Amino acid sequence: MDDPGVLLQIVFWGLYAGCIYILLATGLNLIFGVMKVVNFAHGEFLMIGAYITATIFFLTGINPYLILILSMLALIGIGAVVERLCFRPILGTGKLNEIFLSIGLIYIFQNGAAMLWGDSWQSIKSPYDGITVPVGSLNVPFDYFLIMVFTAVILCGLFLFLTKTTIGMQMRATSQNRKGAMLVGIDVERIDVISFGLGCALAAAAGTLWVVSGQVFNPYMGSIPAVKAFAIIILGGLGSIPGAIIGGLLMGLAENGAAYFLGGIWKDAISFVILILVLIVRPTGLFGEKGE
Amino acid sequence: MSDEPGRMTKYGIIATLALALVIPFLTDSMFILNLLVLMLIFIIFASAWNLLAYSGQGSLGHAAFFGIGAYASTLIAAKSGIPPFITIFFGAAVAAFIGILIGLTCVRLKEWFLAMVTFGFAIIVQTLTVSVLAPVTGGWDGIASPRLLSPSIPGYQLIEYYAILAITIASIAAIWYIMKSRVGLAFLAIRENELEARAAGIDPVRYRLLAFALSAYLAGVAGALQIHHIGYITPELYGVDNSFWPITYVILGGLGTLAGPVVGTIVLTIIWEGLKATGITFGRYVIIGIILILAIIFLPRGLVSLPEEVRAWMKRWRKAEPGMDTIEGD
Repeated sequence: MDDPGVLLQIVFWGLYAGCIYILLATGLNLIFGVMKVVNFAHGEFLMIGAYITATIFFLTGINPYLILILSMLALIGIGAVVERLCFRPILGTGKLNEIFLSIGLIYIFQNGAAMLWGDSWQSIKSPYDGITVPVGSLNVPFDYFLIMVFTAVILCGLFLFLTKTTIGMQMRATSQNRKGAMLVGIDVERIDVISFGLGCALAAAAGTLWVVSGQVFNPYMGSIPAVKAFAIIILGGLGSIPGAIIGGLLMGLAENGAAYFLGGIWKDAISFVILILVLIVRPTGLFGEKGE
Repeated sequence: MSDEPGRMTKYGIIATLALALVIPFLTDSMFILNLLVLMLIFIIFASAWNLLAYSGQGSLGHAAFFGIGAYASTLIAAKSGIPPFITIFFGAAVAAFIGILIGLTCVRLKEWFLAMVTFGFAIIVQTLTVSVLAPVTGGWDGIASPRLLSPSIPGYQLIEYYAILAITIASIAAIWYIMKSRVGLAFLAIRENELEARAAGIDPVRYRLLAFALSAYLAGVAGALQIHHIGYITPELYGVDNSFWPITYVILGGLGTLAGPVVGTIVLTIIWEGLKATGITFGRYVIIGIILILAIIFLPRGLVSLPEEVRAWMKRWRKAEPGMDTIEGD
């Protein structure tokens, strides 16, 4: 009934949105895997990352894809501070406390950003704005391809970090068995800080790629994507990075399909409809068997 | 000595009630009266959230029940002409029914899965309200809601204040009764250890659903009261803000206690309005966020535990004193 162009468009939009979700969900998974902490304020780090990129871009005019690195580094620092000051004191006091603490963080970051940068919608222009690549009957913005490449590179980098470096291996060890990791002499508190920082850096990457593609942003942009990222990791399996990647892509596709077939208003709600339907059938998530 | 906290609590309740009764006569400002009415409504709302948390279930989407109660009551009142004072309870019953439905999804879920589902549920309800249900709900623009009392009645604000005060007291009394009853004990048992509760013959699913229904009912009452008080309803009622406020109030006041939501709502409302008077806008939320985090870390049982904590500090301090003396004496 539909011409292939529309379907193709849904697929490309879905893949592009999926990349943002994958980065967010992978960061959450990293933090959850190592610390078993549920950070509902993760989307706020995406927002801060977006603003840092935009601010540096407005000041210097450097190619925003290069600012990605700076933004990620800045968020490693912010993440480490948040972990040290907020999450470490309440570690092990229960999941509900972590959720409540995240609400406090959401208040602070959203409105702190509004104080610093104002609460109006803003946007930046990518240096490749207007360049498109013809795919079949469709003209796909060049930025979408760049975003997919960047996401792939970041994920490969993360994979190498986790498998080849000492710290990466220590992180995996802590994630598998915290007590065992302590016994063999791993400083798990240091690993916590690093994991939290890295998770936040991935959120910053997601935020940067989001604004670079010309999307508008404001201080309240982070909450919904973060909750969707949670839905993704529940669906894809806690602590499973391949699960997050597949889940992220499917979520991006489902959402853009729903926006097209049901109307744009359903874009946000559809992910929760899927989540609730899945949880009715499988209360532990699609692939979650053991886990928390 | 041991009954001292009990007596203090009794005096505290009497003083609060007395103040609530006379406060309209201490001020003739309509602004303050209006603020008090909204505060009472939020005390009901926060207490409703707290009751669910008492059974070990932390909802991140209680705005859904607040809003459903409000919309249902508004629509029933507008279509049938029944006075809002009665439709409030019908609206709340609708919220309780939906609460059971969403509870059915949630009862088997772990803490933070449940948080996700409730959060998502509020967004789904908001989406339905502005899309499929827009012909009756008015979509994003909202619709007028019948007032609790017609403004033509002399002194209607005062009557409204006392009526809402009565509903608030009745709600808290009902929650107190539930917490003290076998049902409350079952909630507590499930929260502390589900396996042991099951071994003791408590059916967790039934009691969790009951907690959902009761909590959604009271949240629905609060939502309907607020909307009939304001006289207009929009889907913003389902917003994240409305889901987070009761949590903030309860955490600061004291999770799982009867007085916690009351103390938390009063203290935070005073801080909030005080900050508003100084002209701070976004900073208010930042300060509330900092207060919330400090409370979670340093006062995990909330403001209601403050007297106890202070006494404990004093005791430790007094104990430390003579010890210091002997060291110096030596």
